[in-house]
Amino acid sequence: MNTNFISRRSWLQRTATGFGALALHDLVQAAQSPLAVKAPRFPAKAKRVIFLFMSGGPSQPDLFDPKDYIKRMHGQKVSAPINTNELRVGTDKFLALATHGEVKPRGQSGMMISDLLPHTASIADEICLLRAVHADNNQHQPAALQFHTGVTADVRPSLGSWISYGLGAENQNLPSFISIHPDSDTRLYGSSFLPAAHQGTKVIIPSSDKQSPIDYLADVSGDAKAQRARIDFTQRMNKRLLDQTGTDARMEGMIESMETAFRMQMTAPELVDISNESEATKQLYGVGGKDTDKNARACLLARKMSEAGVRFVQVTMGGWDHHGNIRDALPKSCAASDQPCAALIKDLKSRGLLEDTLVIWSGEFGRTPWSQDLSGTSPIEKHGREHQPESFCTWMAGGGVKPGFTFGETDDFGFRPVSGKVHLHDLHSTILHQLGLDHEQLTWRHLGRDFRLTDVYGNVVKEILA
Amino acid sequence: MAAAFLMNRVFQSVGIGMLALASARAGDDMAFFESKVLPLLQSRCYECHSHEKKIKGGLALDLKLGWQTGGDNGPAIVPGDVAKSHVIEAVRYTNPEMEMPPKGKMTAGEIEIFEKWVAMGAPDSRVKQTTAKSARVIDFEEGKKFWAFRPVSGEAAPAVQQTNWPLDLMDCFILDKLEANGLSPAPDADAYTWLRRVSLDLTGLPPTPDEMARFDASPASRAAAVDRLLQSSAFGERWARHWLDLTGYADQIGTSNSVFAEHAWRYRDYVINAFNSDKPFDRFIREQIAGDLLPAASPQERAANITATGFLVLGDVEIVAVDKLKMEHDLVDQQVSKIGTAFLGLTLGCARCHDHKFDPVAQTDYYAIAGMFRSTDATYKTENGVWSSVHKTELPETAGQKAGREQMLAVNDVKIRHWEVERDNSNKEKAALEPQIASATKETKPSLEKKRDELAARIKTLNGQIEHAKFFAPVAPKAFAVHDRENPADMRITIRGNPYALGDTVKRGALRVASWADFSKIPAGQSGRVQLADWIADARNPLTARVTVNRIWQKLFGEGLVRSVDYFGVRGETPSHPELLDYLAARFMENGWSQKQLIRALVLSRAYRMSSSQNATAEAKDPDNRLLWRMNRQRLDAEAIRDSMLAISGKLTPSSGGPALPLEFPENVNSLSPKAVNPPAFAFKKMRPVQDFERTIYLPVIRTATQPGSAKLRDVFDFTQPAQIAGKRAETAVPTQALFLLNSDTVRARATELAKQLGDSEANIGARLEALWLRILSRPITSSEREDAVKFLETMPAEKAWIELSHALLSSNEFLLRL
Repeated sequence: MNTNFISRRSWLQRTATGFGALALHDLVQAAQSPLAVKAPRFPAKAKRVIFLFMSGGPSQPDLFDPKDYIKRMHGQKVSAPINTNELRVGTDKFLALATHGEVKPRGQSGMMISDLLPHTASIADEICLLRAVHADNNQHQPAALQFHTGVTADVRPSLGSWISYGLGAENQNLPSFISIHPDSDTRLYGSSFLPAAHQGTKVIIPSSDKQSPIDYLADVSGDAKAQRARIDFTQRMNKRLLDQTGTDARMEGMIESMETAFRMQMTAPELVDISNESEATKQLYGVGGKDTDKNARACLLARKMSEAGVRFVQVTMGGWDHHGNIRDALPKSCAASDQPCAALIKDLKSRGLLEDTLVIWSGEFGRTPWSQDLSGTSPIEKHGREHQPESFCTWMAGGGVKPGFTFGETDDFGFRPVSGKVHLHDLHSTILHQLGLDHEQLTWRHLGRDFRLTDVYGNVVKEILA
Repeated sequence: MAAAFLMNRVFQSVGIGMLALASARAGDDMAFFESKVLPLLQSRCYECHSHEKKIKGGLALDLKLGWQTGGDNGPAIVPGDVAKSHVIEAVRYTNPEMEMPPKGKMTAGEIEIFEKWVAMGAPDSRVKQTTAKSARVIDFEEGKKFWAFRPVSGEAAPAVQQTNWPLDLMDCFILDKLEANGLSPAPDADAYTWLRRVSLDLTGLPPTPDEMARFDASPASRAAAVDRLLQSSAFGERWARHWLDLTGYADQIGTSNSVFAEHAWRYRDYVINAFNSDKPFDRFIREQIAGDLLPAASPQERAANITATGFLVLGDVEIVAVDKLKMEHDLVDQQVSKIGTAFLGLTLGCARCHDHKFDPVAQTDYYAIAGMFRSTDATYKTENGVWSSVHKTELPETAGQKAGREQMLAVNDVKIRHWEVERDNSNKEKAALEPQIASATKETKPSLEKKRDELAARIKTLNGQIEHAKFFAPVAPKAFAVHDRENPADMRITIRGNPYALGDTVKRGALRVASWADFSKIPAGQSGRVQLADWIADARNPLTARVTVNRIWQKLFGEGLVRSVDYFGVRGETPSHPELLDYLAARFMENGWSQKQLIRALVLSRAYRMSSSQNATAEAKDPDNRLLWRMNRQRLDAEAIRDSMLAISGKLTPSSGGPALPLEFPENVNSLSPKAVNPPAFAFKKMRPVQDFERTIYLPVIRTATQPGSAKLRDVFDFTQPAQIAGKRAETAVPTQALFLLNSDTVRARATELAKQLGDSEANIGARLEALWLRILSRPITSSEREDAVKFLETMPAEKAWIELSHALLSSNEFLLRL
């Protein structure tokens, strides 16, 4: 069922003269390639996605959804409408923790954004803020898994893989799905039962010459000529075996992928090279900045990949898990990501790419309006916040969503949605919808059942569509 | 007859009278419904609950019958009872699990309309009937007619024309189908190919040059080779891994925070031993499901029985959930699903929330089995934050083991005391330095400060070592295992999997469609796992033996007789050779569920001898080789690739099992304090050097991250994700694999080692080439290959050329495939 070996007899005949002379383009452009471009089911608003994943759970009470009631009650117990079946560690006192810094109306719409995110504030009129996003699990690993695959356990195809499966690769010379600096859980960019061609390629932006952007990319023999001679010898062996056994799609696939790998050695370093970008662009993102450099490079690379036609690019930025001393730690996480994320939107816009690129910024959940104190003895100013999947904030931009629009409202605590509630399944179905895919029709038969990203759930959030 | 007729008339007239009296009010009610309620239903509910759009959760609200029957949660409205009507609960937003409409609460006025409507008895004027969605009622007797649920029949071997071809009765089934379709079996593979094939299939290792030299392809020689392979410990080391793919095994508990499963290896070793000792498969089933409840003749047997139940708790068990009741229910679901897939080839998890959509498995069947696991303890809440852990059971020891352990404990205590003394002295010394530093001169100060800092660093190291030594002090051996709860009981259905929304109680039992008699009585005070295991391991169970022999067939022939090896349900694949499947299942059970005997027979069959070469005529008729006119080629799995490379380069180091995680290095462990918010976890800073040379099955399996050390190869070559239960691995050809073959240190190191060894042992180029081919490809070099290789060697300096040549062969398809 998972086989993605394609018989390419004609290709082999055509190239019998020399494997080395083969272009990568030819290799992956075979008509039945799983990555061949597929037309969307209905007219699409977006052609590609960039997902900025804020791993750890950014604090929406501090950044986007402050509450007067919590501010008034700072340091005092509030009677939160919590689920009493759930264990509490360090939050059992339910002390209101006022928003740190100021959250002010921004742009023409008056979207509420914190001073901690000055760059994001400057793109308020470009983004659509969802304030009542809702997920099912309040622990990192299952919650992150649900954000990426729709389920909190098990192994299912990730969002990028579904999109790659649904639409194919826009650029046949590049993978259709790239994940920059992913978290350790490989399921977050895995293809599970979908063909492996749809799995995310992990990319690291090298911080030194010794690091390689993609695993096993550096020629181990350190001698390009010797390596090519070795590959040629292997391929001659492979060709002899193939002649002897007769057609074998699997062997043909293996022969191909060796050539693809060889070419990736040449093209991949180029791919992650941002030295050709203008100084102005680098500055826009914060390349070279003390706090911003890593994320700036990642976001700039995301734009580059996206521009080159990679269907789904993800950038992961960690450091948002503030269980303690959030007032000290949150500004640092903001400083590391704010400018790069906002720059990405500005850059896409100036290149005319924003209209058909859907950008999503989100953590796997948000944080509680009441404090968390694991020591039990710290003063309120040193407290942090616990995870909160009940409601959190996500923003989107481009790709046919309403700019300068705030959707969804939470209760007086900022705990449960009261309107505009968007479950992750709804978010997923909306993302697919913008790409021209129907989340109920995009299925794969596995173990006798048709699986979907959204399982049996999901409603397109029409209210946020432009 | 007449009386009955009369009575009817009386009732009818009474009925008519009541109707007339009520009709005036009814008219008002209907008007209220039509003017107030219906528009609300249409605007707020129909989008997801109507026949025109969707029927989510099985609930349709465009018909009176819809809310009367209700959806997955049962009737949506109880006329007159606002408190008991789900619709009211939903629109009031009082239950976070069920808030309707999902996108936002209705206004107070709108909610009031619904409340009023239900209170007045939910008058509904809609009379339209629909046939669109009538509830599916599972007919179990009808279900039993499906091939997988029919009893296993002892099929006789069919008569064949080419009578000199079959070597074993099973060959007749294959040949019969081929003859009936005008096909003939492929010729036998040559002796080298066969020996490499059987060696890789049974042990995951290629034959050695010595073994090849001794082999003459005679029937006796083949049988001797197979017996040698089956008796080698390498057999269990390969086949145990096939089983572990069905358990979600990892040396990690759950997936969050790298929590180490320091006892998991005992289960892995148990499985290896089970295969090596050819433990009867029915016994293997019973021990894994209910080993803790089985009698045992010795402490060793008791320990093995307990360890076997690790099957139930070594999957991707969630231990960090904040809702413990929900967490426990989710684990029960995993256990039921795993048993369904591994032993029965069914997707039982589907029936947690509703009757199975395709298979004759009712929701009540699910809860009949789930009740046994709800009556079993598998996890407990720890002292760490919101964390739970998997239950551990102390294992009985022999007197000798106990004495040895106590001696080790004494040594450990001495070590700790020694470190404590040194630490305390260092502390004193450091304290004494402080006043000296305070009053020191500019000249003496730096050296004193340096000394103090050195002491501080040493104290830190010592504290880490002491904490580590205390944490890992030799104690009685333990295994991750389960035991019955104090008050085992039948379980209530959880509505849509919500453990707080309970439905009917379901008597513990098994799947009705696969049952031949009433379920055995469960003794009071027991979970019922023993009876479930007995039911699964019964010769009359239609699924167990079929699923098991099919798995074995798939490992040897590349594809199962039923290709969907984990799913025998109605949407699965049908068997290509149903009679053969039944014949093998019956034979397997007659031979005491011996896996080794079955494997021996299969690999000595004529079918297994066939060449894997293509044949244009046969391919045109049967391109997928469904009828098995040739052998299927297989790509080596990750373990076989790594282990073969080690064996070929003479570096494979035997292991007798034991802990996979190198937790003995303090730097590999963190968060050991019992009161820490997060539980003890591992960090891979350092591996045992020997681990790079041991068989892959002995390396740590990590669920979330990339695999440590040389186990990394597993990530690249389609290792089953250790959260997944899958009998057949995906097989992909992605560039990452080729990059790994081209550029990884792992492959390069093997090539270098091999080149060095050949250089040391064979002076002559011809002999060296011969040896290289024999070792890597398990066959002699051909003359054209020799020519090509000699030319290749001339293009670069000898030492380098031999490394490159070895490397070229280790990345060749012939090495990576088993033909």
